[in-house]
Amino acid sequence: MTPLAIGALVLLALIALLAIGTPIAFALGFVSIVTLMVVEGTGSLSILGETFFGGLASFSLVSIPMFILMGAAVASSPAGKDLYLALDRWLNRVPGGLVLSNLGACSIFAALSGSSPATCAAIGKMGIPEMTSRGYPKEIAAGSIAAGGTLGILIPPSVTMIVYGIATETSIGRLFLAGILPGAMLTGLFMAWTLYSCRRRGIGLSDVTERFTMRERFEVLPKVIPFLLIIAGILYVLYGGVATPSEAAGVGAVFCIVLVMVIYRLWKARPLWAVLRDTLKESVMIMMIIGASELFSFTLSSMFITQSIAAWIADLDVNRWVLMGVINLFLLVAGFFLPPVAVILMTAPILLPIITQAGFDPYWFAVVLTINMEIGLITPPVGLNLYVINGIAPDIRLSQILRGSLPYVLCMVLGIVLLCVFPEIATWLPKTMMG
Amino acid sequence: MKAYISLVSSLSRVLGVIAILLVAGAALVVCQMVFVRYVLNGSTVWQTEFVIYALVAATFLGSPFVLLEGGHVNVDLLPNAMPRPVRLVMNVVAGLVGLAFAALLAWSGWIYFEEAWTNGWTTDTVWAPPLWIPLAPLPLGIGVLCLQYVAEILRPFAGNGRKEAIL
Repeated sequence: MTPLAIGALVLLALIALLAIGTPIAFALGFVSIVTLMVVEGTGSLSILGETFFGGLASFSLVSIPMFILMGAAVASSPAGKDLYLALDRWLNRVPGGLVLSNLGACSIFAALSGSSPATCAAIGKMGIPEMTSRGYPKEIAAGSIAAGGTLGILIPPSVTMIVYGIATETSIGRLFLAGILPGAMLTGLFMAWTLYSCRRRGIGLSDVTERFTMRERFEVLPKVIPFLLIIAGILYVLYGGVATPSEAAGVGAVFCIVLVMVIYRLWKARPLWAVLRDTLKESVMIMMIIGASELFSFTLSSMFITQSIAAWIADLDVNRWVLMGVINLFLLVAGFFLPPVAVILMTAPILLPIITQAGFDPYWFAVVLTINMEIGLITPPVGLNLYVINGIAPDIRLSQILRGSLPYVLCMVLGIVLLCVFPEIATWLPKTMMG
Repeated sequence: MKAYISLVSSLSRVLGVIAILLVAGAALVVCQMVFVRYVLNGSTVWQTEFVIYALVAATFLGSPFVLLEGGHVNVDLLPNAMPRPVRLVMNVVAGLVGLAFAALLAWSGWIYFEEAWTNGWTTDTVWAPPLWIPLAPLPLGIGVLCLQYVAEILRPFAGNGRKEAIL
């Protein structure tokens, strides 16, 4: 059997196992080890434990549980609410200020949590009722938060970007930098669309604002500024070349827990334990997928499947933009069904040689891939953010949330097109700052 | 059958608590390491390795607890769209696949652990602790994962249909 035929069989088996509901980590691991044993004999079983263990025992992976811990600590506190209140009080004179505050709060919270559903929940709990009570249509309230929440995986620090960096052996610091401007661009696009659609529906934006005194404006700052300083601190430490992402993440996590304890007086053992338990659940889930995908990519490359696919695509000699279009479509479909981390771990080792061979920048591709994954978070059938919104705002129907998020999907597609035309949006910052 | 399920579930919870403490410990050690390295300008010997192995141990020891809590992410669209008997079959097959992989991993991990133990291997760093210590959580945690998997497969048939969808 040729490597390509084996590859096709592996893919089919994997899809079948995932479809019946096998956890992603175990389906990946099972397909890999069975393939190895069938093709190379049962002796290959001995490398299973070593490969799995070796795949996990690396210092750069330490940043994953640490950033998850940091996000869980912030998400468990009312920090999202305060961030949102602060922005609202300062932006209330701007037309459409409330929606802008929500989207702004989403992008700042994204920088603290690195997780899309957490961002969605933290800002939406307060933001959606506030928007609907001040007369914004339900679709816009729900859609803007669903879309704003997806920024969590693009704006650094992002667990998704770390996973990409590990799967492709690219620099995590550079990846973070590459995400900043596209994150700002998407935030801008989301804001522009929201203002336009409010105006089109004839919502007088100045009617739906409230007045705040300067006193009220300054009151909220002490609760928000420490978290902003942590973000600034992490970015400084990473790009000043002071410490590694894992070190920055560990210190950031402990700082965030201390801040949450001091500012919000969360002394009790129970909420702190809940933060740690949520961290464990999320990081074990991701780490098991990482270990299994280590095995998966080892299997694919030791059978020359990865290499054969790359060679086959090179032989096709298609236009590189057609190739990019097909890859995007494929990622989009995968993102409809699978969580971002799983898509990246399964596809990055196969796609990266193809991408670089066609002359694309791996950091630029990370951004395009991540925006694709963001789209998957707000589209059915497994759009995680849609269900988060459905959970925190039960009075808004799923169909309304969907209708509200659709325009933002188009904003993201536009974002990808802009990135293709002007790749500098992603590549300029890393090049300028890191050479 | 119910006694088995509740016994194994308690075992998974105990390992889960250990795993949670390891994560918390790792975060604190990272801070201590950063303090020694960048504030005191000292050098660190054991911290990097400790943090790596603590988190690997937390992953293996925590995995049965995460299975119990339904945290190993899967795509349950198709099973949920099926009538109950079909869904049950799919859950059992998916569970057996997971169990098979966990069993292979636990066995292979045990072999690796035993080799490290009998040959007295150490890690190749200055600190050089015996390799069997960081390896032990692999067969232990994944071994309990197998037991928990059996419990999850049995659960729908134990007259407690509440958690049948999590396999």
